[in-house]
Amino acid sequence: MTLLNISELDAGYGDLQILEDVDMTVGDAEYVTIVGPNGAGKSTVMKSVFGLTTYMGGSVDFAGDEISQLRPEDIIHKGIGYVPQNDNVFGTLSVRENLEMGAYILDEVPQDALDAVFERFPILDERQEQKAGTMSGGQQQMLAMGRALMLDPDLLLLDEPSAGLAPDLVQEMFDKIDEINEAGTAILMVEQNAKEALRRCDRGYVLVQGQNRFVDSGDALLNDEEVRQEFLGG
Amino acid sequence: MRVRMELQTIDTRGQITSQRLLIAGAAFIGVLMVLSLLWGLFVSGSIQFSRLGTLVWDGLMRGLVIGLAGIGLSMTYSILNFANFGHGDYITSGAFVGWGVTYLIAGLGTAELGELLLVGASGNVYGPQLGIGITQTPVAVILGLIVASLATIAVALIVDRLVFKSMRDEEGISLLIASVGVAFALRYLIAFVYTQSNRGTTNASLVPDWSVPLVDGTLAVDAHDLTLLVASVGLMLGVHVLMQRTKLGKAMRAMADNEDLALVTGIPTESVVRWTWIIGGGLTGAAGYLLVLWRGTLTFNFGWLLLLLIFAAVILGGIGSIYGAILGGLVIGLTMTLSQIWIPTDFARAAAFGIMILILLVRPEGLFAGRSTA
Repeated sequence: MTLLNISELDAGYGDLQILEDVDMTVGDAEYVTIVGPNGAGKSTVMKSVFGLTTYMGGSVDFAGDEISQLRPEDIIHKGIGYVPQNDNVFGTLSVRENLEMGAYILDEVPQDALDAVFERFPILDERQEQKAGTMSGGQQQMLAMGRALMLDPDLLLLDEPSAGLAPDLVQEMFDKIDEINEAGTAILMVEQNAKEALRRCDRGYVLVQGQNRFVDSGDALLNDEEVRQEFLGG
Repeated sequence: MRVRMELQTIDTRGQITSQRLLIAGAAFIGVLMVLSLLWGLFVSGSIQFSRLGTLVWDGLMRGLVIGLAGIGLSMTYSILNFANFGHGDYITSGAFVGWGVTYLIAGLGTAELGELLLVGASGNVYGPQLGIGITQTPVAVILGLIVASLATIAVALIVDRLVFKSMRDEEGISLLIASVGVAFALRYLIAFVYTQSNRGTTNASLVPDWSVPLVDGTLAVDAHDLTLLVASVGLMLGVHVLMQRTKLGKAMRAMADNEDLALVTGIPTESVVRWTWIIGGGLTGAAGYLLVLWRGTLTFNFGWLLLLLIFAAVILGGIGSIYGAILGGLVIGLTMTLSQIWIPTDFARAAAFGIMILILLVRPEGLFAGRSTA
């Protein structure tokens, strides 16, 4: 079953077009990674799904509904969560308040979702009252993910979840993402750490200059000579 | 290259030294002032405790008004990212509409309706003769206070819809300049409708007061002092609870913190902006009405004259923080009155701005910097 279907998408910022005829799909509970060189438009794909870019053509279909012209607020209602790369927590709010904001569109903060997030990220439970801005980079990244999970989305968009993390935390972060995916949430992720991301995911896309270049299972891309040489540093 | 770098170092050092000198000089003068105050109080007796008490009380009243009005300014600054120069004239607009209602209720049957609603614009109705006061005409005062808040909210929302909304993505400086235009337009609209005449609103001799014994004399406290105190402290506590405990308050803080993230988190940003104007406007309107009640006079430009002091308070408190606005208001209010111990009353404003500059020299981000809770 296809959950997200991006087809011939053109998008950018203002007059500047970044993406050209991008096709991409994510199935139910599938784990998909986008890799590619800097400036390829990887983050732009995510932002486009979330209604944060200028739409220029094509379609973005989520669970049977066209969402390319919707506002972020409405897209959240459809069941997509988004974790941006930088500045992804409210630093002056407490950990708990950050999580509450994740469920803003609901009338009440769902206690079961809050418990589930605390169970997945015990550090957040311990630090409920701490100001998010005073936590380490890894903890902030977990908080940002926890916030996106408050609405139990069907699809989670992760922009560089391992960026700026210490090496041992990178593995932990990928393990957490695996767990979230195994619990039934589809993942669409952009990663600098391309090898590790491809090893973990179901399928990968290689994006170059705003266009699809390769698409295959993660392992197949890892073993593809051309992909290895050009994009994975041999 | 090396020479230039050295020059730069010397230059920075020079700056730091001169700044230190300034602060040290100010501290020295401060110590002298405190010594002269103590001398006056305990040795020569040239300053009475009761006078000092009166100045502190007076400064507290001014400070509360400035702080209350400052919260609104600070909120719009942190959430909309611009300094709203129209804020002072929002205060005036609200005060005129609110006092129109107070006149109407207090003076019903004694004069024409229009004359009362225009706060005696044509000079046939004199406020002090209507016997307005919190004890004599409580309904008129309380309703007037509420209407002043509502009117300020209305003005804030209408101006936002007409002017600021279409400029939401512009730079703060463009919005600031637009707001200066708004200030002038509002002020002269007020002057056109209500005239430029200065009017008395209450009759001080009718307001009940009490003499609180204080060491060598008494401190006079009247019913309007207490009204201002209770209303402004109540509203400040209310806004504190709102910001810390309610969903809306948290969303406002989230948006002040990171607007882009608020958007992708699903916080309806336009609606938060609207509530910011509503809450900030309501507090501002109440502050203006209370100041007129306390001072007993009303002019078409009193809000504008107050605005510079409010800016000083908000900046020295740490712009964007409501607690900074309150604290800054108290510092400015107390400085204005206490400065009278050493310098002529005419220099009260100069003293207030002097203190602002000094505090910013020591803490450039303001007193509550880094704790911007909207």
